[in-house]
Amino acid sequence: MRAVPFLSLARTFARSFLIQGSWNYRSMLGCGFAFAMMPSLRAIYRDDPHALRRALDRHLDHFNAHPYLSGVALGAAIRLEAEGADDEAIRRFKVAVRGPLGGLGDTLVWALWLPAASLVALVAFWLGAPGWLAAVSFLIVYNVVHVGLRAWGFRAGLAAGRGVGAKLAQADLAGLTGRLKPGAVVVLGALTGVLLTADGGLAGAGPGWMLAGVGAIGLGLGFGHRSWRPAAAVTVAVTLILGVWGMLT
Amino acid sequence: MSIVLYRVDERLIHGQVVVAWGHALRFDTLIVVDDDLAASEWERDLYRLAAGEARAAFLTVDDAVDALPAAASGEERVVVLTRGLAAMRALGEAGLLDGADINLGGQHHAADRREVLSYLHLTDGDLRDIERLTALGARVAARDVPDATRVPAAQLLGP
Repeated sequence: MRAVPFLSLARTFARSFLIQGSWNYRSMLGCGFAFAMMPSLRAIYRDDPHALRRALDRHLDHFNAHPYLSGVALGAAIRLEAEGADDEAIRRFKVAVRGPLGGLGDTLVWALWLPAASLVALVAFWLGAPGWLAAVSFLIVYNVVHVGLRAWGFRAGLAAGRGVGAKLAQADLAGLTGRLKPGAVVVLGALTGVLLTADGGLAGAGPGWMLAGVGAIGLGLGFGHRSWRPAAAVTVAVTLILGVWGMLT
Repeated sequence: MSIVLYRVDERLIHGQVVVAWGHALRFDTLIVVDDDLAASEWERDLYRLAAGEARAAFLTVDDAVDALPAAASGEERVVVLTRGLAAMRALGEAGLLDGADINLGGQHHAADRREVLSYLHLTDGDLRDIERLTALGARVAARDVPDATRVPAAQLLGP
């Protein structure tokens, strides 16, 4: 296997932050993936411009993944290229890896970590932390996990190559999501309580804002994506009752 | 009858299937019918990651022809996935799809495919497979997620 210099790997990792930069419906992350691969491909194919061209070509293909986990695929693709895997093997790997990386990232980051970190910052704000402090601490806490996840994924991909699936299964990201979920629900409950009771919270908002809130919910139900479920109905009803009760007492 | 969905989707196990259809159908098991995957452990490891809490099984077309009748009368709620129309047609030729609903969920852009719907790009061979599946008694329709509009085969094939 041909060693890829640390600097080239570092440049690929840095470029992976821009992987969504030319997102499009046809190839999705394809252009960004090729752009991020370029420094490492240049190192692997430094004496063979034709092979470099073919490699760049295959990485321009359709690709999709969660952006934070795209490093898993980049790392593994670099390893496959450095090991001299053939075109078909590399394409098949990328086709197989995009679904899991998308699914794991969506549930772990978009559905859990982003809302949970936002909720913690909102609770801190409503409990009286200055706005700038809540915002800055959100950015730090959120991004420590974000960048850590990217770095971990890139290293895991580089180390395991095509076998990265077994490594991801071992890390049990899906299980981690399951274990973190109850914590996020607790924070959501805390936010609701704080919103209702804090100074300047819902109870002190006045009837104008209450009506605006009800109107917004109505508009969302009428024109938005269907999400009318029993849990939503209960949440809205309880919030309204507590809000009105808060105004009257 | 507990095969709750037959789906053709190039991406096989992924978010739309596991989250959107999972929420609508509450399935226990995903059976992926694909000769290549049945023979490739590292690929199965990857796809299994995307299955969430559902069990994932990977069968060749031949094995699926033997196994699906038992799945259809079993207790578990099963979703059958194929990468393309050819494997689904093979199940149809084996007489498994008479009266079944076949869901077309996603075929990406490629050189020899043309856009039928934004998420569905088909070759001429695919269109013939849809006609054949219809002749074998299957009801073929496109629908990427449960909330989307169902587009029946007659509309996909055009006038």
